[in-house]
Amino acid sequence: MTRDRHAYRAWAIAALGVLALAAAPWVIGEGAQRFLSEAMLMLAMAQMWNLLAGYAGLVSMGQQVFVGLGAYCLFFASISLKVAPFWVLPLAPLLCAAVAAIVALFMFRLREAYFAIGTWVFSEVVSLLVSKTERLGGERGIGLPTARLVDPRWLEPLTFWLSAAIAVASVFGTYALLRSRVGLGLMTVRDNEVAAAGIGVDVWRNRFIAFVVAAAGCGLAGAVNFTATLYVAPGFAFDPNWVVAMMIIVIIGGIGTLEGPILGVIIYFALREALTVVFGLSAGWYLIGLGLVAIAAILFEPDGLWPLVRGRLGGDWLSVRREPPAPLRMTAAAPAAADAATSSPRGLGATRE
Amino acid sequence: MTLLEVQALDAFYGDFQALFGVTLHVEAGETVALIGANGAGKTTFLKCLVGLIGSRRGEIRFGGEPIGGQPAERISRLGLSLVPEGRLLFPSLTVEENLLMGALNRRPGSWNLARVYELFPVLHERRRQWPDALSGGQQHMVAIGRALMSNPKLLLCDEISLGLAPLVIDQIYASLGRIRDEGASIVLVEQDVKRAAGAADRVYCLLKGRVTLHGSARGLGLEQLSRAYFGT
Amino acid sequence: MIWVETIINGVLYGGLYGLLGVGLALIVGVMRVVNLSHGEFIVLSAFIGVSLIGVVPWLHPLALLLPVAAIAFVLGFGLQAVLINRVVTRPDPFAAILLTFGVAVVVRNLMVEVYGADPRHLQAGQLAQASAGIGGLHIGVLPLLILALSVALFTALQLLLTRTRFGRIVRATADHRDVVRLMGVNPGRVYNLVMGLSLALASVAGMLLAIRASFTPYSGVERLLIAFEVVVLGGLGTFWGAMLGGITLGVAELVGLRLDPNAGPLYAHLLFLVGVLLRPSGLFRVRA
Repeated sequence: MTRDRHAYRAWAIAALGVLALAAAPWVIGEGAQRFLSEAMLMLAMAQMWNLLAGYAGLVSMGQQVFVGLGAYCLFFASISLKVAPFWVLPLAPLLCAAVAAIVALFMFRLREAYFAIGTWVFSEVVSLLVSKTERLGGERGIGLPTARLVDPRWLEPLTFWLSAAIAVASVFGTYALLRSRVGLGLMTVRDNEVAAAGIGVDVWRNRFIAFVVAAAGCGLAGAVNFTATLYVAPGFAFDPNWVVAMMIIVIIGGIGTLEGPILGVIIYFALREALTVVFGLSAGWYLIGLGLVAIAAILFEPDGLWPLVRGRLGGDWLSVRREPPAPLRMTAAAPAAADAATSSPRGLGATRE
Repeated sequence: MTLLEVQALDAFYGDFQALFGVTLHVEAGETVALIGANGAGKTTFLKCLVGLIGSRRGEIRFGGEPIGGQPAERISRLGLSLVPEGRLLFPSLTVEENLLMGALNRRPGSWNLARVYELFPVLHERRRQWPDALSGGQQHMVAIGRALMSNPKLLLCDEISLGLAPLVIDQIYASLGRIRDEGASIVLVEQDVKRAAGAADRVYCLLKGRVTLHGSARGLGLEQLSRAYFGT
Repeated sequence: MIWVETIINGVLYGGLYGLLGVGLALIVGVMRVVNLSHGEFIVLSAFIGVSLIGVVPWLHPLALLLPVAAIAFVLGFGLQAVLINRVVTRPDPFAAILLTFGVAVVVRNLMVEVYGADPRHLQAGQLAQASAGIGGLHIGVLPLLILALSVALFTALQLLLTRTRFGRIVRATADHRDVVRLMGVNPGRVYNLVMGLSLALASVAGMLLAIRASFTPYSGVERLLIAFEVVVLGGLGTFWGAMLGGITLGVAELVGLRLDPNAGPLYAHLLFLVGVLLRPSGLFRVRA
């Protein structure tokens, strides 16, 4: 019963949140909107990285390639078709999903650290190719003149709403995905790959779906992010710091939980504001601080900070665990799947015993 | 003189308890057989002695010194040597290099490379080969030789007859007699009850982590043993 | 003629790439950990070289190889002892990846704060310009020296690992980290020494690379990727394979630059991706 009450509470908070986000542009200033847009897009990217590393067992160090591809796709399509950038936004996730589907065919031959660096090399290659392509502005990058087709009074609020929608969709979309058969399969694999294959979970297919979804999510977030800056260049679009931020947010908040990245984003931006604005430190010192926090988290709190916070709040929030329906228990697959679904999230924390 | 004294030893793997109050002792110069079915806790017991299982409770004294809480790398220097189950030779090292690993803690004594080659002449012929080029029996010889190189006071042998032809087992057991003549005590962990009881002075039987029987190897009847072994 | 020269220069350059990778290959082979801060320490050693030159400007950078390698050894030993040994026994392979990634972020930004983001260069004086004419080909003396040094270090490492007591212990620890404890060996201490050795080798490569090309605090990423490509192409944990992998990448990069002066490391990366596609277990697999 407490579980129902917590779920109810979570949904109620979510509904209030959506209302607040819808009304926000009339209440807060442009600077605050821009700051919140950035944070919400970062949350979406971190959630995608969490889906990969925390659930699908894929540590991608090249996730920035999709951020950049999404941005370039939007710029190129908007300029070529001479339409307002928001109209071609759906193309960005589509392109990223297609690229991810092709890349997965060979990257999935690499495991663990080799996959991590393989994706990173791929990202570098794309970045180098883009900086050599004059039609995309080369190393100098390109601007977004078609942004003038949008009423300037609505540019900032539209970006804000889109960012909010993407952030909310990233959390609840991942939630829905993880509650589906794919998610159940992923979590079974995460807990025991051999056993999962033994009971007929298609490991490759589930990972493939997660990789494609994460690419689309990062592409969408990247496209909106660079629409807001009206300018894109390879050095910014394919910056490894995108994946640095995703990783640090997920590690600090709690890998393999949906709430972890939310908490992580709050800490990440709170630290940034505190260190750079309040204490006036340079970006370098801020990154050093974040790196140290991430190292400490891996050493002392491998599950991140969310489990501690949840302990204070009590109960389940966005738990993807589910009770298997009774008849399912009759089949051979059910007990193992049920175990996977009810055991605590693995990820980094698995090793603490 | 009592060389090894174990009092009320419990051991755990996470939440799972593998040993329950095991009490056992080995006198200097003695050979003790520890028998039991698969999963009875024999290997766990040996791992506790050498310090590879951190989660243990109870008292272990070796040569009068308590070693219960010490790490494996300290315990090995006191003269406790294990021939591990499945041999666990180093595949990247030649036969001779495997043997030399045993001599790292530089304990004084009569065993050295020449003496091990004398005990197992075939190893001298194959000293430059990789261990996986050797037969199963020869690999067991390397594992025993490696353990001897540290001149142990107590040699712990985990299933040294597993998967070997009877003739080879005879050869290995014959070498145990010579090892004992050099003054080492031996703990033999075996599933083969007759073989172990034949080579030992005393026998302990483990069942589901508990000692169910112990006594002189000569005095135990077969029926008594099988009851302790299977718990019927 | 120009192509022969390009390929010879690629081979000479590739020896250096092999050296970038061999330290990483050592870590992967012994503790099954990929050190994502490897590139950052390569760059850090070049900065340490710059600092030392500032103290003793009359010394040639090549004379600083030994002191810089000694400092790098101490850094590697400390990194392993203080941080990595705490996660290396966890069954989750991601803990070590993420931890060394955190270290990379910290080291990179510390370099930005201490040394600034401007490109730096180690001056090798006349040696950098000297070249030898062999049968109409112009081959730089410095690249030749660098290749000779790389081969010498590879040979020394090979001898250390196959002929000495320390090498025996390292190989045994790589095989069974629990069994060596029964022989009185503390695997953590072995790891400390191996990480020290890995970063010492990396520091030599870092110094030599800094003589050949300029670097910034952000060059670590590129260095790491090359080192990693060398390891994968060479076949995991095999040292001469790493040398061959390095030479392959060096030739690919210089041939690529000859075709297209703005290519950067693009062709080396492409070769790596194709190599992985064809042979995920490495191009030059030989028994260690």
